Amino acid sequence: MAQLQDLPDELQLATAAHVQYIQSLDSRKDEYEYWLTEHLRLNGVYWGLTALHLLKKPEALPRDATIDFVLSCQHENGGFGAAPGHDAHMLYTVSAVQILALIDAFDELEKRGKGKAAVGKFIADLQNRETGTFAGDEWGEEDTRFLYGAFNALSLMGLLHLVDVDKAVDHIKACSNFDGGYGLTPGAESHSGQIFTCLAALSIVGRMESVEADKLGKWLSERQLPNGGLNGRPEKQEDVCYSWWVLSSLAMIDRTHWIDRNALFGFILRCQDTEKGGISDRPGNMVDVWHTLFGLTGLSLLGYPGLDDIDPVYCLPKSTTERILGSRN
Amino acid sequence: MPPKNNKGGAKAKELSEAKQENDNSRPQTVFERAQAAYDLTRPPYDKEREELGGLHALSTVEKTAYANWFCTGSDELSCLSKKAQKELWKQVNETNRPLRRGQIDQPKPDQWGKDKLGRNIGDYTVPQYEQRIEKQAQLTGLKALGRSFASKRLYASKGLVDSSTGERYILTEEDIQAERERRKEMAALKKDLYGEKMGSYSTDPEWDDIVPIPQMEPEGALAAIAYPEDYAESMSYLRAVMAANEYSPRCLKLTEHIISMNPAHYTVWLYRFANIQHLDIPLLDEIEWLNGVALDFLKNYQIWHHRQLLVEHYYPTISGSPDEVKRFAKSERAFVMEMFAEDAKNYHVWSYRQFLTRKLGMWENEEHGELDSIEGMIDEDVRNNSAWSHRFFLVFSNPRYATPESHATEPDAGVPADVVDREVAYAQAKIQLAPQNQSPWNYLRGVLVKGGRELGSVKGFVEQYVQNLGEAEKEEVHSSHALEQLADIYEEAGDKEKADLCWKRLGEKWDRIRFGYWEWKRRSMKTAAASS
Repeated sequence: MAQLQDLPDELQLATAAHVQYIQSLDSRKDEYEYWLTEHLRLNGVYWGLTALHLLKKPEALPRDATIDFVLSCQHENGGFGAAPGHDAHMLYTVSAVQILALIDAFDELEKRGKGKAAVGKFIADLQNRETGTFAGDEWGEEDTRFLYGAFNALSLMGLLHLVDVDKAVDHIKACSNFDGGYGLTPGAESHSGQIFTCLAALSIVGRMESVEADKLGKWLSERQLPNGGLNGRPEKQEDVCYSWWVLSSLAMIDRTHWIDRNALFGFILRCQDTEKGGISDRPGNMVDVWHTLFGLTGLSLLGYPGLDDIDPVYCLPKSTTERILGSRN
Repeated sequence: MPPKNNKGGAKAKELSEAKQENDNSRPQTVFERAQAAYDLTRPPYDKEREELGGLHALSTVEKTAYANWFCTGSDELSCLSKKAQKELWKQVNETNRPLRRGQIDQPKPDQWGKDKLGRNIGDYTVPQYEQRIEKQAQLTGLKALGRSFASKRLYASKGLVDSSTGERYILTEEDIQAERERRKEMAALKKDLYGEKMGSYSTDPEWDDIVPIPQMEPEGALAAIAYPEDYAESMSYLRAVMAANEYSPRCLKLTEHIISMNPAHYTVWLYRFANIQHLDIPLLDEIEWLNGVALDFLKNYQIWHHRQLLVEHYYPTISGSPDEVKRFAKSERAFVMEMFAEDAKNYHVWSYRQFLTRKLGMWENEEHGELDSIEGMIDEDVRNNSAWSHRFFLVFSNPRYATPESHATEPDAGVPADVVDREVAYAQAKIQLAPQNQSPWNYLRGVLVKGGRELGSVKGFVEQYVQNLGEAEKEEVHSSHALEQLADIYEEAGDKEKADLCWKRLGEKWDRIRFGYWEWKRRSMKTAAASS
């Protein structure tokens, strides 16, 4: 990879602006969008914090206030809601565990929260023991995102034994499609986001043997469009977030070289707001924290200089997953 | 040049003179009026004393008069002799002191306080001030009526009897409506007078029994939540009714209101569904409302999860009647198609359509027309990959012939040959319309796998899109997907040289962005050949 100073101006990452943008998110409480996204608050903290770690500015959000906020979202049953007063749900529980992993604060969960065991039980109770699938909450909506989330959080806490891994793996296999991809449920259209969740779940439990890597890799590499960007499904528009879903999937089957890296670099970097910071879905659009994170993770997977390495399975810095899980290669 | 308008000029002058006269002769503001009243009730000595700066400035006569006047304010008068009293009253008559009751304090300019805009009320003009007093009086009156409403409601709830009429207290719908109107008036007055905002729930008598629970958060917490007022009020009432496990029509309305402001709030949806269950709301009523919300918020997925819960909940009540199931399937599809008119690739809506197909058993085209409907969508946009994907699901998951649990990626001997033939022909016909379209090419491969057929079985069809490969000027490729499939057909048949040429040309010219992939294909075939 080229050195940072050797890159032409249009391929420079506006690191300082991005850090400032993420820090500013919490002070925008008077903006309309802020309360409309309350149901994403805990996710938002995870997205912003992970982005800051990749930018090598982990201290840019205060650690103590982060822990306080995360724990204030926890319910008696061990699960976490999006914000205080919101119902507990798989997606927020996973974000909470990821945040605590990121800032090395599992001990605070034991001391001041309900403890790992309660979180593990909340997640394990959401597994359908007959089909192996996971629901998001007590209301039973099931999809592969929740299954991945469960494996992600449980493995970080060392509690995977609480669930039936074999049945869950069978379910993922049933979600594979004729075109080589995976869908939300058996029979649902292949979608890059769902492919990521299925592959990462299989990867966490070391069950990649059922993956038809060449066929899937072919489908994934077909997601690149002439402008360098990636789309999520055939005949759809490109979007920066697929830099993560597609690329991390290719990374898990060791095939990132099947796409044109430089073309994707250019596409992601053209989506930056170089003045106010942040990355958008496509060049010229409004930035948001979600696309900012997935633009940065994409760049990190491609080996952009100056960024921390991202773990394609956990969507956490490699330094974090290595600290907790040891080296997995 | 400005027009001359003598008449207007003169009139303006008149007005300003009148105003000036007015200014001088009569008090304009509340403070001035109070000051004038105070002046009127003050004895001249007092006034003069104040103006001169103290008693020492009075003349001897004035001092005597002052002392005598002063004494009239005390009990000492009775101590005076008759003669002295007579003298006193003579003095009183001479000074012609104005009569007054009690002591009026000298008005201070800020004693009326400030209004909601921070304006000093003492600076109000008299008519403005009177208007304000009038409004305050109105508010007091409304409050009194509100109190009597509250008493009546209390008596009615306890079944008490009105002693004046001998009848039981009954709270009528008119009473409630009147109170509702009254609160609106009160809210308007309060806002006008004091800038106080009363939300739509605190002004609705139907919600009086609920003590709202505002959001509690530690000071300065990371990611603290700030709400606009309306939303904050609704949420505080939601917390209260949820904490009380209340399920009622008003809760249903409350969730409707919150969803209209923020449909992504998943907790509200869960609570709404619980209300639907408890109140046994008819399915079609809820569906009708939901349709409007779905069209307003196209990207929202909670709406579709809610719809799925509704169908799960109600299906047992119609499952016994095939006609009812068919009718429901038809009306649901009609709405799904309305959604697709907005976005034909909406993933949530497609997921719901699959759920519906399975749940209502919409497999047979003769009965449900699902295949016809999908064909219509593909005809409209042959590049709609979601529609292709649904077609695959519909054809190859049909329980009439498909092997249960057969994965989409494996051959299924249960699928009849004529179905495979039909689908191969269908995909080929659509490829002819747009040869560079990925979807039917993927579909064709998928169908061949399901039918257990070789790729080579469609060689003739594929070859028509590739001519004179490798012959510089004469080379014609009408579809990179065809070229790719041709390579696989050659590889399958063991014709490695031809396969390699296809991949080489793909990387060099026909699909350059995936150069890395094509080179890998070439290398891996060579490695496999070398090791075997």
